[in-house]
Amino acid sequence: MEGIKMSSSKSIMSTHIFSTDHKTIGKQFLFLGIFFLLFGGFQAMLIRWQLAYPEQPVPWWLFGSIVNGEAGMITPDVYNQLFTMHGTIMIFWAITPLLIGAFGNFLIPLQIGAKDMAFPTLNMLSFWTFFLSGVVLLVSYFLPLGVASGGWTSYPPLSLPAGGIPGLGQAFWTLSITLMGVATMMGAINYVITVIRLRAPGMTYFRMPLSVWGLWLTSILNVIFVPVIAAGLIMLLIDQLLGTQFFLAGRLAAGGGGDPLLFQHVFWIFGHPEVYILILPVWGIVSELLSVFSRKPAFGAKITVICMSTIVVLSSVVWGHHMYTTGMSPLLGKTFMFLTLLISIPSSIFFFNWLATLWRGSLHFDPPMLHTMAVIWVFAIGGLTGLYNATVTADIYLHDTMFVVGHFHYTMAASVLFGGYAAIAYWYSRMFGRMLNPLLSKIHFWGTFITINLVFFNMMATGYAGQHRRLYNIGEFEFLQPLADMNIFITIMAFFLGAFQILFLYNFIHSMVKGKVAENNPWKSNTLEWTMDYPIPHGNFSTIPVVVNGPHEYSNPDVKDADWVCQTVKIGNES
Amino acid sequence: MMKKIIKTMTGGIWLVDPPKDISLNGYRIDNVIQYTDFVITLYFGIVVVSLIFFIWRYNARKHPHAVYDLGNTKKHRYLTVAMGLLVFFSIDVVIESMAFKDLKEAFWKFPKGEDVVRIEIMPQQYAWNIRYPGDDDIFGTNDDIVPPQNILHIPVNTPIVVQLTTYDVIHSFYLPNFRYKQDATPGMVTAMWFQAKETGDYEFACAELCGNSHFKMKGFLTVESKDEFDNWIVAQEPEVTDDDDDWGFEEEDEGVPTKWGWQWKELK
Repeated sequence: MEGIKMSSSKSIMSTHIFSTDHKTIGKQFLFLGIFFLLFGGFQAMLIRWQLAYPEQPVPWWLFGSIVNGEAGMITPDVYNQLFTMHGTIMIFWAITPLLIGAFGNFLIPLQIGAKDMAFPTLNMLSFWTFFLSGVVLLVSYFLPLGVASGGWTSYPPLSLPAGGIPGLGQAFWTLSITLMGVATMMGAINYVITVIRLRAPGMTYFRMPLSVWGLWLTSILNVIFVPVIAAGLIMLLIDQLLGTQFFLAGRLAAGGGGDPLLFQHVFWIFGHPEVYILILPVWGIVSELLSVFSRKPAFGAKITVICMSTIVVLSSVVWGHHMYTTGMSPLLGKTFMFLTLLISIPSSIFFFNWLATLWRGSLHFDPPMLHTMAVIWVFAIGGLTGLYNATVTADIYLHDTMFVVGHFHYTMAASVLFGGYAAIAYWYSRMFGRMLNPLLSKIHFWGTFITINLVFFNMMATGYAGQHRRLYNIGEFEFLQPLADMNIFITIMAFFLGAFQILFLYNFIHSMVKGKVAENNPWKSNTLEWTMDYPIPHGNFSTIPVVVNGPHEYSNPDVKDADWVCQTVKIGNES
Repeated sequence: MMKKIIKTMTGGIWLVDPPKDISLNGYRIDNVIQYTDFVITLYFGIVVVSLIFFIWRYNARKHPHAVYDLGNTKKHRYLTVAMGLLVFFSIDVVIESMAFKDLKEAFWKFPKGEDVVRIEIMPQQYAWNIRYPGDDDIFGTNDDIVPPQNILHIPVNTPIVVQLTTYDVIHSFYLPNFRYKQDATPGMVTAMWFQAKETGDYEFACAELCGNSHFKMKGFLTVESKDEFDNWIVAQEPEVTDDDDDWGFEEEDEGVPTKWGWQWKELK
């Protein structure tokens, strides 16, 4: 990368705001992601309040008076807005920037030995487009008739004006996600090209750390499937604003109309890969960190990579399992079930590899490792409970119940949160030059681990007991009365879960200023990002490193006096 | 034997019971769920036990030097692939064959014959419109029976075939006590069938988000004996329509659609 110009004028504007340095952009994504994580999480607390204490005033510590004026009660329309925006924000504005935006940017060039992204300016543009999409989303909170309330899936005709949701909230929702998609595309193209073109000499594909593999595969999925949802959303938007009828049918449509099911297909053709888009970076990070903290090579790393790639392919042909109850043809239902279940083969193989990495290792339980092992736990539950939803018959009962909610929170919320926390704890010193406070990190970890399981497991239980989703007040139904206590329990645990995240935020900010100053390679890792002094300059490497080892040469018997060896150092007496 | 083990093993891993199953085929869904409960508890148990063992045995204090093992020999590869296949055959193949069998024998095998009760249901925001064919057994004639909204009566031990479409947005006809639901989508007619084993009063709900009062969209299901059902049907006023030919939706009367319904779609 000779193209990087070291800017001589070091104004704050060029170094911190409109920076083209991938590390700065990564941090910008991180901060924005954490902001939205808190914002979306706060809305989850309000949802839980309503489910446990229906139609009671929201207490002051949940900012009751701000939420809904003097009465302080959550009304049905506000409730629908809350879960719509909670889902939307968490998926598109919290998880996406946290893992893909922040760590994709920060890690890929550093770990493959590149001076920056392939297209640094596009990278900056990606962040600011993303920022703009967030602004559009937040502006919709100030619309007189409120934000979108059609659910994060936003199925038409409900999400169209004919569906009865007043105001422009739905249109802002559609527009902001379309913009977010544009930003994601710019980022994803950049990551894909960077990995293909800018690997350091000797950095073959199978010498890349598995974290890069995860991020790369995610970006490939993004490049393929974000255009699909963008097309669908643009059609939805002109349905909403110009009165076309792509997704309108029946009495509400003039003439023949279009087909509401078409939107569901388009949505889930993107939506199911999206699940893997969110989880693949976590798989990569987990595979990598397990190796580091077991001081042992990642077991069967090549097979893990092949399995993850297989899942990438399979993920694009299973979307129909979200639609078993739409009345699809029996042949399609069976096919989608079979294809979905195929995913369990590669998943169980790399899961087995994770466990085998721990086997005969030397396990160091630092905070990143704790979070990594928590991913094994929650992802096992999340993955296994997916079997119910893949099964046509079981899903006919469990579809659209809290079971599904609990299941996808295990896979997408719990796994991704722990993966994100593992990554933050692990790479914090490379980002900010200091260490997170380990004691606070451990308290945060255990608090989160216990409460998150109590929340999401019991959600699945209430769904198994019949509680359907998106209910404003479960008191309306006789058969849900036995679940009132369990809902209160889930809510209290959710509040504790929320409180522990505040502790994380404190640790995150406080350690930036007051944390222990970190040495260059505190975890004794092999990969390239630990080789330079902090602060890592714009351009990263003064000379491009030459890679001679794979990333997982831990406890190699040919290396004397250490259980690790940098990827650039030759092993043994060959030299 | 197997069933007994499954029952004891899974005696409530979910801590709660699902609504009482009063349907002919609900047990099939309960069975596949219970088998899945059983195998995933088993596999999760293996994961947890190995995690605990590894934490205890291989923590750095006890085991300061890791064994250098890339796990890339042929033996390792066969072992991992064998693991994947073991999971696939012990879980996926079993639940898949269970599910396919249930679909073929029950859920997608629509009953035919004289005693089948046919019902058209058209949900709207936020109520259920229900239509019986009346004496002539043909939908779309003057003697169609349309009970008050949200009231659904069915005879016990009789197959019920329901066809659904919607007045406005997507709804989903959800019968917790039958372990079943079916979406009602604009522009298409979907179908489902079920059969009750027990009489009594139950609830049904809309499972698909349909707007602000989605949570209030509930119906009352009465399962009664054949005689009681016949008496109830006779007591309902036939719907008065002037014009038989002109089907479609008409103006509403305080939010209640007056003219709706469709020719029964014969299934292949």
